[in-house]
Amino acid sequence: MRRLDISKLDVLALMRYDACTSCGECTTSCPTGGEAQDVELVTPRGKILRLREFYKRQYGLRARLLGPKEIPEDQLKELTSRAYECTICGQCKTVCPAHLDTIEMWENMREFLVANGLAPLPPHEQIVKSIENYDNPWMQPRTQRARWSKRIEKDVRIRDALRERPEVLYFVGCTAAYDPNIRDMAIDTARVLGKANVDFGTLGNEEGCCGSTLLRTGLLVPARRMVEKNIELFEKASPSTIVTSCAGCYKTIRQDYPKVGRVGARIVHISQHVNELIDSRKLVPAKKVEARVTFHDPCHLGRHNKLYEEPRKILEAIPGLKLVEMERNREDARCCGAGGGVKTAFPDLAQKISALRVEDAEKTGADILTTSCPFCYQSLKDAVVARGSRLRMLDMMELVRRSAIGD
Amino acid sequence: MSDGGYLRDRMGLYLLFLAVVVLFSAIVLALPYETVYVQERAYLHFFLVLIIICVFVFLLGTLYNVLLWMRGKGLRGTPERRLLQLMARGLRFAFAKRLGRAVSVFTKDALYLAKLKERSATRWLMHLLILGGFIATFVLDLIVTFSLDLLRYQPMIEEDGWAKLWIRDFAFDLTGLMMLLGLLIAAVRRFVLKPKIVRTELPDAVSILFLLAVVLGGFILEGIGIAGEIPGHRMNNEYSFVGYVFSLITPASVDQYYDQAWLIHGVMSALFIAYIPFSKLFHMIATPIAIEVDGLLSKEVSAS
Repeated sequence: MRRLDISKLDVLALMRYDACTSCGECTTSCPTGGEAQDVELVTPRGKILRLREFYKRQYGLRARLLGPKEIPEDQLKELTSRAYECTICGQCKTVCPAHLDTIEMWENMREFLVANGLAPLPPHEQIVKSIENYDNPWMQPRTQRARWSKRIEKDVRIRDALRERPEVLYFVGCTAAYDPNIRDMAIDTARVLGKANVDFGTLGNEEGCCGSTLLRTGLLVPARRMVEKNIELFEKASPSTIVTSCAGCYKTIRQDYPKVGRVGARIVHISQHVNELIDSRKLVPAKKVEARVTFHDPCHLGRHNKLYEEPRKILEAIPGLKLVEMERNREDARCCGAGGGVKTAFPDLAQKISALRVEDAEKTGADILTTSCPFCYQSLKDAVVARGSRLRMLDMMELVRRSAIGD
Repeated sequence: MSDGGYLRDRMGLYLLFLAVVVLFSAIVLALPYETVYVQERAYLHFFLVLIIICVFVFLLGTLYNVLLWMRGKGLRGTPERRLLQLMARGLRFAFAKRLGRAVSVFTKDALYLAKLKERSATRWLMHLLILGGFIATFVLDLIVTFSLDLLRYQPMIEEDGWAKLWIRDFAFDLTGLMMLLGLLIAAVRRFVLKPKIVRTELPDAVSILFLLAVVLGGFILEGIGIAGEIPGHRMNNEYSFVGYVFSLITPASVDQYYDQAWLIHGVMSALFIAYIPFSKLFHMIATPIAIEVDGLLSKEVSAS
């Protein structure tokens, strides 16, 4: 009989499982369980009740008196698979009347599933291998990580952070560094920083995956290795500020790294940094960009880090650009569907969710859909193409670059 | 950990638990209950024994559930040791600066349910009526027992005393009515309207119907008391405004069953208490704790 090891669940998580009133508030707004598909077990309430039922069968008072009960393996596998259909967007945390920190609960639930030998799912195993072998989830060689910068090396001075120790370290992230369709995000970011005369550099080919994918899928051991390695590099570079253009990297470095080691630098997202540059007139978005734009709040930036206003301030600072909000915005923004390893393991589900978000954007009458996360960008762009939408998907740094530098 | 420490941890916690049970039992058995109107004293004694057993089961179930939380990761030592340490920390906290914030979080989020109010006014009202009624009834019970049986406070005993009329009659009916209304909204919502987010399984239905039966039972008992002019129900009955309405549809002849009705209501109330830790009603204990933890311990993630 498989005996679940509940010592891998957090004390607070175990308390929260009992605190769930099963009111169902989370079920309708859950992008994966309630909106894209109607499956109770995928919803926060479904997962909580099922896991609670399982561990109480083995550790509850009845189990104590009469002995633990076996949980059928197929039921455990079903729960595992459903638990990974969650994007960990945090919408449930926003609406939960019992104030349950569901973001922590889902990450801990996955850690528990991994520790009990039920996870990771096969598609995530490949990512682990890739990160272990190449330091990135895209199976790309380490030597190609800094290739994106070749295109602008004559225009922008990007320092070698480990040797030259610039004031600002730009942490590029795997997606912007490797995905040929996203590379412009890194290029535009670097050009914008250069235009504002920011003394910045990158870790070049030494930069490793931030560990976000591993942490979100419950793979704490390999994640810890990546985190330790990056912290060591941060110490060597000793910047005063670390800027990330990826919302996932931002959340990970800001919230998860301090649990492993000290990061001496101030950690900011590019939207915060650029907003400060605009405020201090070091960067002037002077050229008009005539369009109506709507902004998608990445979950890792918004609900996970309460960063809502800076991207909007930037967009409002661009002349000619008119910001129109989607009905669901800020804390209530719908997820793009890509997070939490969903796009890797359940691409069709991710696509359904991103289509809903693009539909939200279309309803605003905007010409441009923009965001500030490569993962959201990738996912929404796919949906824009798949739907044949008239929206143009642009990264926010592209808009800033157009206005501050030109085409 | 050495065997000595292992035993010491357990002994400490279980002795504390036993002390609480013994103290509660001693108080229950020592009170005179002169103002309990039930004629058959055997019923009273049966109820007293049952309430001690039920409170013991409630405490044991709650302790077991909390010890289960303590098996999780994040703390060191045996679950019993972790719990003792947390209790000690909680006591220290009561005298700390953050107590004000803790009280504010508790009042706003656990009692007033501010977040639920934002989501749905109906559900907020429903919950507030049930929770508010339950807590207020419990507090009134403590006040009345203390002033009746320990202080022998005459205005609480005399038939026309202000405390008897306004607290024992009016306030109890008001808090009972709050629960009744809240439970009726919950029952209609769950069993008639059935909105999509509501999932009704047997334990959900049992929880609502059990509490509804306890509350209704209280009013039926009061109705019998008033209709049958049982001592304590012979004058100024309009203060017990809900019980009075029930008395209008209760034949006076049923007064002969007052003792049995009293016992049934008492037994159901006692069993309800014992049922809490083993049902979804345990959230009455776990949720306020989760809300406090969220309000006090959660990371401040403001991006600035």
